[in-house]
Amino acid sequence: MKAPHFEYEKPATLADALRLLSAGGDNAKVLAGGQSLGPLLNLRMARPDLLVDIRTLPELRACEDDADSVTLGAAVTHAAIEDGQVPDPTHGLLARVAQGIAYRAVRNRGTLGGSLAHADPAADWVTTMVLLDAELRVAGADGERVLRVEDLVEGPLSTCLAPDEIIVSVRLPRLSADARWSYYKFNRKPGEFAEAIAAVVHDPARGVVRAVLGAMEGAPHVIPDPHALLGGDIDALAADIVTRSGFAPDTYEHRVHAVTLRRAVAGLA
Amino acid sequence: MTAPVEAGAKGVGASLPRKEDDRLMRGRGDYVANRRVVGLQEVAFVRSPMAHARVLAVRKPEGAEQQVFVLADLEGVKPIVAVCGLPGFRVSELQVLAGDIVRYVGEPIAMCVAATRAEAEDLAELVEVDLEPLPVVADMLAALTPDSPKVHAHWERNAFLESMVDDDLSAVKRDAAIVVRRTVRTARQCMAPIEGRAVVAEYDRRLDQLVVHSATQMPHINRTGIAECLGIDQASVRVVAPDVGGGFGYKGILLAEEICLGWYARRTGRPVRWLEDRYEHLSGNANCREHHYDITGYADASGRLLGIDCEAVVDAGAYSLYPFSACLESAQVSSILPGPYVMDRYRCHTYAAATNKPPILPYRGVARTGVCFAMELVLDAIAREAGREPWEVRMANVVPSDAMPYTNITNKYFDSGDYPECLRRTVAALDVPAWRARQKRGEPDGRRVGIGLAIFCEQAAHGTSVYHGWGIPMVPGHEQCFARLSPDGALELRIGAHSHGQGMETTLAQVANEVLGIDPARVRLIHGDTALTPYSTGTWGSRSMVMSGGAVAAACTVIAERVKAIAAHLLEAAPADLELADGDVRVSGTDHSMTLQEVAHAWYRQPQRMPPDIDPSGLETTAGYKAVRDTGTFSYACHACAVAVDTELGTVEILDYVIVEDGGTLVNPMIVDGQVYGGLAQGIGSALFEEMPFNADAQPLASTLADYMLPGATEMPTVRMEHMTIPSPITRFGQKGIGEGGAVAPPAAIANAVNDALHDLGVEITECPITPRRLLAALAEAKAGR
Amino acid sequence: MTRIALKVNGQAVERDVAPRRNLVDFLRDELNLTGTNVGCEHGVCGACTLEIDGAPARSCIAFAVACDGASVRTIEGFDDDPVMIELRAAFNAEHALQCGYCTPGMLVTARDIVTRLPDADEARIREELSGNLCRCTGYVGIVRAIVSVMAARKSSGGGR
Ligand SMILES: Cc1cc2nc3c(=O)[nH]c(=O)nc-3n(C[C@H](O)[C@H](O)[C@H](O)COP(=O)(O)OP(=O)(O)OC[C@H]3O[C@@H](n4cnc5c(N)ncnc54)[C@H](O)[C@@H]3O)c2cc1C
Ligand code: FES
Ligand code: FES
Repeated sequence: MKAPHFEYEKPATLADALRLLSAGGDNAKVLAGGQSLGPLLNLRMARPDLLVDIRTLPELRACEDDADSVTLGAAVTHAAIEDGQVPDPTHGLLARVAQGIAYRAVRNRGTLGGSLAHADPAADWVTTMVLLDAELRVAGADGERVLRVEDLVEGPLSTCLAPDEIIVSVRLPRLSADARWSYYKFNRKPGEFAEAIAAVVHDPARGVVRAVLGAMEGAPHVIPDPHALLGGDIDALAADIVTRSGFAPDTYEHRVHAVTLRRAVAGLA
Repeated sequence: MTAPVEAGAKGVGASLPRKEDDRLMRGRGDYVANRRVVGLQEVAFVRSPMAHARVLAVRKPEGAEQQVFVLADLEGVKPIVAVCGLPGFRVSELQVLAGDIVRYVGEPIAMCVAATRAEAEDLAELVEVDLEPLPVVADMLAALTPDSPKVHAHWERNAFLESMVDDDLSAVKRDAAIVVRRTVRTARQCMAPIEGRAVVAEYDRRLDQLVVHSATQMPHINRTGIAECLGIDQASVRVVAPDVGGGFGYKGILLAEEICLGWYARRTGRPVRWLEDRYEHLSGNANCREHHYDITGYADASGRLLGIDCEAVVDAGAYSLYPFSACLESAQVSSILPGPYVMDRYRCHTYAAATNKPPILPYRGVARTGVCFAMELVLDAIAREAGREPWEVRMANVVPSDAMPYTNITNKYFDSGDYPECLRRTVAALDVPAWRARQKRGEPDGRRVGIGLAIFCEQAAHGTSVYHGWGIPMVPGHEQCFARLSPDGALELRIGAHSHGQGMETTLAQVANEVLGIDPARVRLIHGDTALTPYSTGTWGSRSMVMSGGAVAAACTVIAERVKAIAAHLLEAAPADLELADGDVRVSGTDHSMTLQEVAHAWYRQPQRMPPDIDPSGLETTAGYKAVRDTGTFSYACHACAVAVDTELGTVEILDYVIVEDGGTLVNPMIVDGQVYGGLAQGIGSALFEEMPFNADAQPLASTLADYMLPGATEMPTVRMEHMTIPSPITRFGQKGIGEGGAVAPPAAIANAVNDALHDLGVEITECPITPRRLLAALAEAKAGR
Repeated sequence: MTRIALKVNGQAVERDVAPRRNLVDFLRDELNLTGTNVGCEHGVCGACTLEIDGAPARSCIAFAVACDGASVRTIEGFDDDPVMIELRAAFNAEHALQCGYCTPGMLVTARDIVTRLPDADEARIREELSGNLCRCTGYVGIVRAIVSVMAARKSSGGGR
């Protein structure tokens, strides 16, 4: 199938992009790597009147590196992260996750911001950035705001972003030298979207323990009491956590999420 | 691995690299979509969104009357009807665009023509279709119940065909110490060649000829079908199948789309094309492999088979398609279920059930994959009951070596082979004791290891007597080849079958080399064009190497004789003393020779040098081939594998995979290996991944390749393969058809390995694909039951 | 229609395109470069893989307008590429293609693996190939061909 008709603009600055988006109203859409939007357009499941191409905006490509955080431009590609072309404050988690996304040809185009904005429940960055408690810088017609990724996703393919807002960058806290992380994804084949994801980060120096379930029906599930995962009867605990996350016991989804969580915790050791 | 080839050999038996590769590797392949035609317009179809509905109205968008076409516009076009001659067959008619009723999601309703595909799709969105939903028949078993709604209102029952191989089972029922009864199911699949179907239709005014470029495996059959449906002479239609991006059966069909486009090109004189996209393929053409078996095996205490009793249902979808019809598959089930085994009694009742799903097509191996799955699961169940290794029980049941050739219980004539040896070599190659020891030790990661095997035989290149018996619209007969030694000493071969991955441009050149001694580099194969090639039923049923190979050899033999007659005169020797080798004609035992080129040059350019009694037919001929008997070659193979099952996530990893097969004389062992590997990957897809689910409304639930999962490089294990090469006594070089077998055994071998791994847990899988969802459900059920 | 200027196989091209025209259709139908095939139009099968600015990309989900200023290289642009010459020889020797439909995309990916990951083992090669579906070969010859090219480049010191 072929995409429906749309207009296309490639603004030179973020300000121009925002102007085009507000003028375009609900029927204008941002185009970044096009690796999610492209298939949706081809299937005619997305029908924007106008695409505003932000892939090469300099504001969205800039990265910053300071003492306690790293900021990655929203248009940084999965491949750039995989190859370590941008700073990684997680000692390898980012590269590891990036390498597991789709296929290289997709990673060369697909962007961090696009993945977050697309908010596929099974997407890797959505879960990863919630795990790391990353923050987004979002620009809109009325200025900028900062948003926790945890508050971004409202449901499958739905976020709290207004149609004329653009994710500019993602700010990630820097993990301490002895921090540990674990990311377990269950999918049927490489490049397939996940059936279940669980991720854990333990950073004692910063007093941080976070654990997240991904590939949920909607937003990732931040496990309320992650400390408990670090000791105790993980089998019963994992099952209980998954039940409380919303999956009914004795379902396929419950089973694979519970196993995934156990394996993520085991992988931390 | 295959035996090393004699250095420099280029004839039958050489692993010659393929001649066709270079153009394909440099982006110079010539697929239908690559055809450039001035003024080409594109077509998109409006397709039914409902599985069963009455078409109340189709309204064309205003101003687009000349771009949108419905059935009423297609004056004189006949529906596609494929009648099977077996008694009791119920006839369906597929209108090329919907008539009063649509019967599956994806059935074409209107054809939209525009400058680009995107615009044609825009137009299609504007066509308004009023449908009144009718009750949907989504499941093949429910379809056969008396109170089921009907797919075709006037039918008594939702069955194209019921067939029966009957026998008296009372004695085996009485004597059997072991009785195993299983319900076995295989999922509906899409064949998914990477290139979809594709059609370009043009009208040649000079010849008053419709020229259809189509991605088909059988251009001559399509030509016949197109002419019949359009009501025109076959001479007014030319079908060209250029490079085709994979077939597997999916492109062995007359398409409603071909007829629509052909009608348009003839009516308007304007060229049009339609390229099936993946969405159309997946959502409207999931059309193979869906079987259900209620099968019972009777055996004595040692596991020796006494009899098989089976009720099998094939979900044949909504219509019978041309040329293979809706009944080939189910009729095949009953005739091949016994596989390579000997048994006393056999009863099988089959149904080709009609449902509101896409009509079926024979996919690589046709019914064999399902049949092998059902039979081999039963054999393993018997082995477990008998307390013996599965291979031992098979050894006790396969046709013994000294019984070959053998006529089995359904009257199949197994031309040659050694099934016990095949089993022995497979079991040795897998190293069963080592796996059993590992199984006892357990895996450090907690997974469970199991081994499984499956053996089958595959009738291929079968001809008139077999197909006549099935009564389908196309009965394969003999096969011809046109050959011409041209003035420069090169050889031109023309065949009516089609090569779309099988490498016939290479292998048939090897056959020519074998007979004429000509360098394969100087042989050119022309195929896939009805204007240029002899009539043929095409490439399917693993028939080409036997049939076209035989025809090429026959034509080359005629040329060889004529070459010798000329050379004998020029060399002043007796024809009987001449031999053909390395591009030369030589007087045996001397260095007195001339080249083929010199002979050809003399014939064409210096006729004055010919003897007065020369045969004036010259260095070109059409010759035909007929196998010694047309019951087919029986290649066979044993597949064995070891798997590790993750019982927590329900995943299966293939740790080792062994194939021992007998393709008779291998014309090109490298290409044979490739066919088997490719089949294996498809079989792994059937075993573990591929499934088109439908909901209760018969709506297909996968529309992208992210939902319909094809195996990739990571899903394919490292394979070890051995060949047995027992020549077929009924073919020209002893070759047997091997194109399909790779895809037959994997679901059975893998399921048996999974069941071996999970036996202690009380799990036995009888349905494929074996997905994590299915496996975890079975594990949970077993746990709850204990 | 939008005016775009880009390089295709080293040559400058300027054209008006409809914004919805995807790159592969633009190349095939407007530039007559039919070497790049289409298998799914949703980014999964890899048949349409080519290079944009030196990196493999899916041309079915890239829009031609968005490639304004880019440099695109299709299979036709690799005729004289030394790595591709080695790969073609190995694909031929190992029977890494049958119908050939996946092959252009497969070769572009294979070249990326050979040049980007010269030390990849077979498991990694398979993983990197997982975005290119082949329905014919079972990948056996493809994997062998890539392994053999990588080994040959290593032993000749050519593997960078
Ligand atoms: C075959 C295939 C397999 C895949 N497998 C995986 C996988 O395993 N895991 C995974 O996580 N992903 C996977 N993806 C998705 C891929 O990671 C995409 O790249 C990503 O989801 C979207 O990024 P993009 O830059 O391509 O966004 P686009 O497709 O350009 O845009 C996606 C959406 O986000 C919006 N958007 C984009 N950028 C911004 C921004 N800066 N601000 C606001 N809105 C924005 C767009 O308007 C659009 O709605 C796969 C994709 C394909 C084609
Ligand atoms: S056609 Fe582009 S990935 Fe399939
Ligand atoms: S060679 Fe046919 S799809 Fe790969």
